[in-house]
Amino acid sequence: MQYQPMVFRTCMGFLHHKDDADDLTQDVFIQAYQTLSAFKGDASFSTWIYRIAVNASLNKIRKSSKNQFLQRLETAFGGEKSKEHSISISDNENPENILILNEHKEWVQKALNSLPENQRTAIVLSKYDDLPQKEIAEIMNTTEGAVEALIQRAKANLREKLSSLNKKSKK
Amino acid sequence: MPEGIRIQVETHLGECKACAESFQLVSLANKVMDAEKEMKSNPFLVTRIMAGIEELEQNRESYQRIPAYQSILKPALISVSIAAAIFIGVLVGNIYLPTQSINKLPVEMTYMNDAALESVDLFSQL
Repeated sequence: MQYQPMVFRTCMGFLHHKDDADDLTQDVFIQAYQTLSAFKGDASFSTWIYRIAVNASLNKIRKSSKNQFLQRLETAFGGEKSKEHSISISDNENPENILILNEHKEWVQKALNSLPENQRTAIVLSKYDDLPQKEIAEIMNTTEGAVEALIQRAKANLREKLSSLNKKSKK
Repeated sequence: MPEGIRIQVETHLGECKACAESFQLVSLANKVMDAEKEMKSNPFLVTRIMAGIEELEQNRESYQRIPAYQSILKPALISVSIAAAIFIGVLVGNIYLPTQSINKLPVEMTYMNDAALESVDLFSQL
């Protein structure tokens, strides 16, 4: 299970929630086991498993965005609002700092979630898994140049989104 | 980052408010991402994965173990018996003909007026 931490980190980068990332990591390994015969060895095993993790994460996000839409509809028609996941960065922080950090964390998660899928994949694999651009290119089945451009665009979009969220909070 | 460039960047950040704000936001994003990156998965995750794979294998084995007569013959037999039951039902329904009453009343009886019959109460009062 040497690949477990890296799959978990990838899932965490996409989902930002520990329990969801745990569940998805489990699904990824079971899916990998089921489709092991499809692994031909053209790419390295880690690249193959990263691809499964990225695809599973993106599918999960697509599904949950549909569910969120239904939940919003349900809430609009008088249903119960689903509980938000609590966020904590460190237990040593005082409550005020935790509150600020949680707010900041929400900004970053919102900004990350607003990125297009390919930019998001590139930034998650680069920032969460510290993968070199060559490996990211293999996972995403593209060129290194394209990956570099994607990461640059993702960073610019993140900066822009965070800046607008910061301005909104100041108003 | 080389020392000279670092000093230049720091000086610029001290003077330019927009760049300082942008730098702060990027640092914040990095801090959040690092915090998420440092999170550890459930220590029992390996056990859960192994249990999941084991369950998958068991399901596969039990599916393979079902003999052909159970997977094909049984549903076929059930379908045939349901069809036979419906057919017999329709057949029996068609055999039935409304029977004519054997103890048919004589025609004269229809002319009798029950209301005009002598009341039983008449005898009980005696």
